[in-house]
Amino acid sequence: MSTLRGKVAVIGCGLSPTGRVPGRSPLWLAADAADKALQDAGLTRSDLDGVLSAPAFASPFHRFSVALSEYLGIAPTFSNTLQVSGATAATAFSIGAAAITAGMARYVLIAAGDSLLSGLTPDLTLRSMSESRDQQYEMPFGIPVANTFAMTAHRHMKDYGTTSEHLAQVAVVHRDHARQTPGAQMTAPITVQDVLDSKLVTTPYHKLDCSLISDGGAAFVLAAADDAAALGVEHPVYILGTGEGYTHEHIFLMPSITSTGAALSSAKAYAMAGCSAADIDVAGVYDCFTGTVIMALEDLGFCPKGEGGPFVADGHITHGGSIPINTHGGLLSFAHAGLPGSLFHFHEVIAQLRGDCGERQVPDADLGLVHCLGAGWAANATVVLGTEATR
Amino acid sequence: MITPEQANAKPLPTPDADSETLWAGLARGELLLQYCLSCSSVHYYQQGICRTCGSEHLEHRPASGRGTVHSFSVVHRAPGPAFKDETPYAVLLVELEEGPRMISRLVADADPAAVDFDMAVELVCVPSDDPKVTLPYFRPA
Repeated sequence: MSTLRGKVAVIGCGLSPTGRVPGRSPLWLAADAADKALQDAGLTRSDLDGVLSAPAFASPFHRFSVALSEYLGIAPTFSNTLQVSGATAATAFSIGAAAITAGMARYVLIAAGDSLLSGLTPDLTLRSMSESRDQQYEMPFGIPVANTFAMTAHRHMKDYGTTSEHLAQVAVVHRDHARQTPGAQMTAPITVQDVLDSKLVTTPYHKLDCSLISDGGAAFVLAAADDAAALGVEHPVYILGTGEGYTHEHIFLMPSITSTGAALSSAKAYAMAGCSAADIDVAGVYDCFTGTVIMALEDLGFCPKGEGGPFVADGHITHGGSIPINTHGGLLSFAHAGLPGSLFHFHEVIAQLRGDCGERQVPDADLGLVHCLGAGWAANATVVLGTEATR
Repeated sequence: MITPEQANAKPLPTPDADSETLWAGLARGELLLQYCLSCSSVHYYQQGICRTCGSEHLEHRPASGRGTVHSFSVVHRAPGPAFKDETPYAVLLVELEEGPRMISRLVADADPAAVDFDMAVELVCVPSDDPKVTLPYFRPA
């Protein structure tokens, strides 16, 4: 079967200011990132014929990609506003690559932004995120979106012996990574004890087990590999494999609450890319909560099922470990701006593959993976990325 | 975008054709499960068509009301203002004796700190802010 492996490259990346960006709308944040990505690619707004985006909680525009195109003054002939919660960013890469491979668009902009921190109050942000739960079967019981993830991690602790200290170590690693990343929202060092001493949010999660609330936007330009070569792009990063996995909508219909759709989505992405977890040099793993990371590491194949806690404690997910993840600090310490949040994971993994990460560079990074997930594990999407060497 | 006014109100179910029998049963103190007469599967989440086999031959039967806590999470930071007065409260993922799982809550007069995995629980039908809506909560059995 013919696939899109290696046919499409990321030729430009951009980040808006992130963290606390008062007064800037989601559209401005997305557009600012878009212009930076276009500049990086050596293109202009008028070169774009495709635009993919995601809805913003702090924006009234349901058709955010259309509103963004208007804001940029362009009239694309391919566009959509994607929504599978936290998995959205990865699907934008696969759909964008598929559209280019199919000849539906030549230069696709992926851009999104949100202002969860400055555009909404904390109460409105939490309630907005919980609105995605079922109005009949889940929301009446007062179930925060954190709670669905908390219940999966909680049972994981019971079944596999994962501890609160293991969860806390995930947060500590992310904070250490953020300390090396310019623009990261949280850079004060923390210890496992600090995490355990922070306020309980929803057991087993303390405040420091939970991702941030932030403002920010990110953008990318995709093009066919031939166009990337014609433009003379110095370090094109190729999309080598994509996969998605949707096992349930309601958390009570998740087939097993300790095994996730990440296994489905990553198996498909590895098969397309022709690699396995052991080949991946650097990864972005969606880190809305600490326990989510531990479960994802297992289901992505980086460690055996049930061993995610000790795997983190043994130093495998940071520099020098077997799979450094979220070297920018992730949603836990860099920034979490709603659906654009996992675009920051793409930005970091692509920067690692280009060799642009300075002090936090993972040596010889030629094969990367980003796994995004959302809505209590309802949506999973994995993308494998590579350099010319692994194409 | 959600407004502050909307966020202050508790989300309550609006029954539809798929679910009205469930909510009517709860108002009478019964938790009704859907039994598929074609493939024998049992469902809590109500659909007009069996999710397992596609049959429309479904029958409602009352659950025993007994189950165990498959997982749980005690909420200390409420999801918005509407639930702030109730913290800390235990959200339960209950596995019913008949097989299906459901999201529920521990009744307010039980101790959320005493909830444990696989603990036996039983159904309690609790009135909501809307006189037409009764919610299925659980208490230690």
